[in-house]
Amino acid sequence: MTTSLDWHTITVGDALTPLVIDVTATVIVAGAIATRDYMPVHHDRDYANAQGAPDIFMNILSDTGCCSRFLTDWAGPDAMVTRLAIRLGVPVFPGHTLAYTGTVTDLSRTADEGFVEIEFTAIDDLGEHVSGTATISLPVDPADGDRS
Amino acid sequence: MTPGDHQTSALDEALAALVGQPVGNGRTVAPDPVNQPMIRHWAAAFEDANPVYTDVEAATASRFGEIVAPPLMLQTWTMATPTITGIRERGGSPVEGDDAAVLSLLDDAGFVGTLATNSEFEIMRPLHLGDRVSATTVVETVSEEKRTRLGPGRFLTWVTTYVDDAGEVVGTQRFRILKFKPEGLS
Repeated sequence: MTTSLDWHTITVGDALTPLVIDVTATVIVAGAIATRDYMPVHHDRDYANAQGAPDIFMNILSDTGCCSRFLTDWAGPDAMVTRLAIRLGVPVFPGHTLAYTGTVTDLSRTADEGFVEIEFTAIDDLGEHVSGTATISLPVDPADGDRS
Repeated sequence: MTPGDHQTSALDEALAALVGQPVGNGRTVAPDPVNQPMIRHWAAAFEDANPVYTDVEAATASRFGEIVAPPLMLQTWTMATPTITGIRERGGSPVEGDDAAVLSLLDDAGFVGTLATNSEFEIMRPLHLGDRVSATTVVETVSEEKRTRLGPGRFLTWVTTYVDDAGEVVGTQRFRILKFKPEGLS
């Protein structure tokens, strides 16, 4: 991932590159600790069981992390996420496959920035885990026209 | 009016009084400035190979011109350094005595379960190595009691404003949690 998308080549309806994450207990614990979330439901199965959950489950800061990767894996290193709004549905437990898919819904630009609006979901073994929208910014040359 | 109604309305009034008020101590300063080890740890956890986070050469050649922290890592910088001993007994609270009044009110009323439901970020600029982030969090809304699949609950929404050393806003976050009375658990 060394090149970024050219904003001029993106069109409404484009699909983002899907991202599939094979979720293990390690994935959940690594994400929780890297985001400095020490709530035991994200690393201690006995504790999660006592709370009525069948296993540890992914924390929302990790969802944000996965969304970040999903968006910039597609758009490239020059992309900057300027807005993210996510809603959580069913939880993600170890053993699940978490699949992110998304679509471009709108495009706009200022002199030197092109914006891409995206709608996306992440589905796991129980159903919809995350639904959300995001805006990313890509650099554009002020001398370039709006669209090619 | 039954005693139950009276109790609910007293709780509603107490919660309403907290809307617009700071959550917890009001202002949280990140324990550490934005730094490469924490960024590397974060990127590794999500297997995010974006080179602008960890590769000086690639970052220098990018639009950012230098290493940047993942913009959506913003919330991580101001998370409390936990006291591991006793964390289970504190119900997962990372440190002693950090319970915000609004959370204590809901816990004491039986809404002891916590589930994050929404997170919305607006990012003004990416953070650079050495930036020190502070966060101020204010209660935006507390819903009336609702039936949820987990049990009776109330949605609590707060808004956090993140600023840099100069006091410039680098991002905002609206965060919603469900506080609920767990059902079917014994």
